[in-house]
Amino acid sequence: MTAGPAPLAVAEAPLSLAPAPPPSPTRTERWAERTADRLNPIVVKEIRQGLRTKVFWVCFALMLFACLVLSLVAFAAARERAFDSGGREFFYAYFFCLGVVQFFVIPYSAYRSLAREREEETWVLLTLTGLGPRRILLGKLGSFLVQAMLYGSAAGPFLVFSYYLNGIDLPTILLVLALGAAYTAFLTALSVSAATLAEQRFLRALTHFGVLGVLIGGTALGLSVAYAITEDSSLLRDDDFLPAMGGCLWAMLSYGALLFEAAAARLSLPTESYARGVRLAFLVQAVLSAGIGVYAWVHENLDEEVALVAQLLGCIHLGVVGLLLATDVDGMVGRHRVGTRIFSLLRPGALRGYRLVMVVLGLSSALWGTLCLVSPGSVEPEELSALIACGAYVALYVSLPILVTRLIPFPPYRAPAVARLSALALLFLAGGAPPLAAAIITGDPAEPAFNVFNPFVGVVNFAERRADSGWELLLLCAVAAISALAADHVLARRDAPKSAQAERAPSPEGA
Amino acid sequence: MSLLEVKGLTRLFGRLRAVDGVSFTLEAGVILGFIGPNGAGKSTTMRMLATLDLPSSGEVLIDGHSAIEEPDRARPLIGYMPDRYGTYEDMTVFEFLDFFARAYRLKGKERRERVQSVMEFARLTELKDKLTSELSKGMKQRVALGRTLLHDPRLLILDEPADGLDPRARIELRELLKALAEEGKAVLISSHILTELSEICDACAIIEQGKLLAQGPVSEILARAQGGGATELCLRLAGAGEESLSWAERLLLEQPGVSKVSADGAGLRVRLEPVGGQGAPGWVEEASARLLRQLIDAGLPVCSFQVREADLEDAFMSVTRGRVQ
Repeated sequence: MTAGPAPLAVAEAPLSLAPAPPPSPTRTERWAERTADRLNPIVVKEIRQGLRTKVFWVCFALMLFACLVLSLVAFAAARERAFDSGGREFFYAYFFCLGVVQFFVIPYSAYRSLAREREEETWVLLTLTGLGPRRILLGKLGSFLVQAMLYGSAAGPFLVFSYYLNGIDLPTILLVLALGAAYTAFLTALSVSAATLAEQRFLRALTHFGVLGVLIGGTALGLSVAYAITEDSSLLRDDDFLPAMGGCLWAMLSYGALLFEAAAARLSLPTESYARGVRLAFLVQAVLSAGIGVYAWVHENLDEEVALVAQLLGCIHLGVVGLLLATDVDGMVGRHRVGTRIFSLLRPGALRGYRLVMVVLGLSSALWGTLCLVSPGSVEPEELSALIACGAYVALYVSLPILVTRLIPFPPYRAPAVARLSALALLFLAGGAPPLAAAIITGDPAEPAFNVFNPFVGVVNFAERRADSGWELLLLCAVAAISALAADHVLARRDAPKSAQAERAPSPEGA
Repeated sequence: MSLLEVKGLTRLFGRLRAVDGVSFTLEAGVILGFIGPNGAGKSTTMRMLATLDLPSSGEVLIDGHSAIEEPDRARPLIGYMPDRYGTYEDMTVFEFLDFFARAYRLKGKERRERVQSVMEFARLTELKDKLTSELSKGMKQRVALGRTLLHDPRLLILDEPADGLDPRARIELRELLKALAEEGKAVLISSHILTELSEICDACAIIEQGKLLAQGPVSEILARAQGGGATELCLRLAGAGEESLSWAERLLLEQPGVSKVSADGAGLRVRLEPVGGQGAPGWVEEASARLLRQLIDAGLPVCSFQVREADLEDAFMSVTRGRVQ
C-alpha cells in the first residue's frame, strides 16, 4: 500500500479521537452555554441562520423605514388636527406594515426552511440524532415565532404611538394584536405542514405555488379583518362579536395543532408510532369542541338550533379530517402490534384510523341528537332527519372510497392519496349527476327521490321536509351502515399480518 | 458477536426486489467495501441499516439490537453519511458541528471537548470559522465525516463518500478511515472507485440487482477472481529488435496455456489461461515461472517479467454481469 506522492497534512500527525483540552470559557459564556443547553437546538440554529439572511434584514429595515415615515406623516397631520382622532388610520397603517411581514414573510420563510431541509436531505441527518420530528418541527415553529416577535417588538412603539394620536381605544389595539399573533402562528403551522406534503419535484413546485397563493390570500384576509375591526370599534360592544372571535381563535389554535401533528406524522420514520399524535390531537379537538358546543347550547337557553348547527359543522369537519385519518396505509410495524387491542385506536393503520373516525362520528351525532331531543322548544321532525342525514352522509362518503380503493386488485391504487381523490370524485359524482338526472326526468333538480345520496341537496331536502316519507332517510342510513360495516370488514382483513412483508409494508405517508 | 449482522434483508418496491435476501456480517475494526453498479441496491441497503427505511423482510442486528424492532437503541450506535453531504450553507464549520452535538444531546464541557476533538481529527480546526458554503468538496466531506463521528458511533455507514473528490481529498479520506478502523470502529463504505476501496478495505461485498454475489476478505475475493480465469503477463527484452520479439512470440505461443501474445511497445503482452479450463490455486505462479524459464533457456534477454495482479475491478467484472433493475 502506498502513502501517496507528496507529504500530506493527514500524515503529519497521528490521528486520534482522544479529547483535546478546549479553551476554558468565561463566566458569562458558561451561563450562556447552560441556557442554550436547555433550549431546543433547532431554535438556536434557526435563529442563528434566520438572523443572517438578507430576507430578515431587508424586511426589518423596510418595515422600520415605513413605520418611521408614517410616524413623521402622523406627527405632521396630528399637529394640524390638534391631535384629534387620527390614531385609527395610523394604527392600521402601522399594522399593515407589520401584517405583511407577519402573515406572509414569516410563514413563507418557515415553509422554505423546512422544504429546503427536505430537498437537501439534511432532514435525514436531523432525524438520526434522535430529536424526533415533533421536537424538530416545534423548534422550527418556535424559531420563526421568535423572529415574528422581533418584528413585533420593533413595530410595537409605533403601534403604541398611534394610541396617543387618539381615535382608537386600547381594547381594539389589543384585540387586533392578539388575533394577529394567533393568525401568524396558524399560518406558520399551515406553511410548515405544507412543506411536508410533496416528495417529487413536480409536486413540490405545485405545493410551492399553492403555499404562495394561500399566503397571499391569507394576508389579504388577515389585513381585511384587522381593517374591519379597526374601523368599527362598536363591534367590540356587539354581543355576538366576542364569541365569534373566540370561535375563530379556537379554530386557529386547534387546527394549527392538528396541522402540526399531521406534519410530524408525515415526517416520522416508518419504525415510529406516527399516528398517535395526530389522532390524539383530533380526539382532543373533538372533545373540547363538543364542550364548547354544549356550553353554547346552555348559554343560548337550550336552543336546539345550536345543536343542529354544531352537528352540521362537526360533520363537515369529520368529513374532511376524518377522511384524511381513515385513509391511512394498511397494517403496522410488527413491534407496534404487541398489545394492540380492538380499541387501540391511536396506533397506526387504516383500520384503527377508520374506527376512530366512526366512533367520534357516532358519539357526536348521539350527543347533538340528544341535546335536540331534550331542548325545551319543540323539535321539528325534519330537523332531526337533517341531523341524522348529516351523520349518515359522512359515514357513507368516508367508507365508500376506502371500499372502492381496497377492492381494486392493483396495490398502487390502494395508496392513501388515491382513496382521497376517489372521495372527491365520488362527492363530485353524487353532487352533480342526480340533480342533472332529476332535472331531465322530472324538471326539478332537487327532487328528493333522485337526491337521496346527494349530500349537498339531500341535507337541504331533509331539513326542508321535501322528503315527505321516511323511506329516503331509511335507505340512506341503511346504505351508510352497510358501507361502514363493509369498509371495516375489508380493512380488518387487510390489517391482519399475513407475512413479514405485509407487516412491515406501512410507512407514515398516509398520515 | 459481530457488530453488524444482516440476515436475509429484502426490500420490495411494488414488484421490484431492490434488495434480495442480502446477508453479511461486519466485525469491529474492519472496513467493508460495499460494491455494486448504479441501481444495485447499495443505498437502499444502507438506508435500511441506518434505520431510515424498513425492510420488507429480514433482520438487521447492530451490536445485538434490532434496527427494526429497537431502532432507538440501534441509532446511537450508527454514524450514517448519505451520498449527499447535507451541510447548512449559512453556518460555519464550528456552528454546524456544535449544532449537531447539541442535537445529539451533548451538553456543556462534554460537547465542547467532543467538537474540538472531532475538528482536530478531521483536520477542521483551521476551517472552524469558515462558512460551509466556502468550503471545497473535500473539506465539506470532512465536515460531514466529523458530524458522523460526534456521538462516537461504533458503526459507520458511508454512502459513496469518495464520490467527486480530488486525489488529495481521497487520500485524506483514506487515512481518516484507516485511523477510525484502528480505533475499533466498523466501517461499511460504498464506492464506485474500486482502486480506492482495494487500498482501504479489509473485506468487500459485491451486490448486483439486489443480490449479494460475493463477499469475504479482499484477498479471498481477489484470489477467487484470479483463480478461475485468465491472467496477463508483461515482459520486455533488453535491446530487442523485431526479430527477437517475433522469435519470443512464436516461442510463447507454443507453450501450454498461452492463448494470445501481442506486441506492447518494446515488450510483449501474454494472455495466460489455465490448462483444462479451471486453474488450481497458485497456477498463475507456476505457469509464469515455467514461461520465464523457457524464455531464459532460449537465450532471450528478458529484462522485465511481470504478472499483472487481479484487483477489485477484475473481481467486480468477473462477478457482475452489468445488469440493472
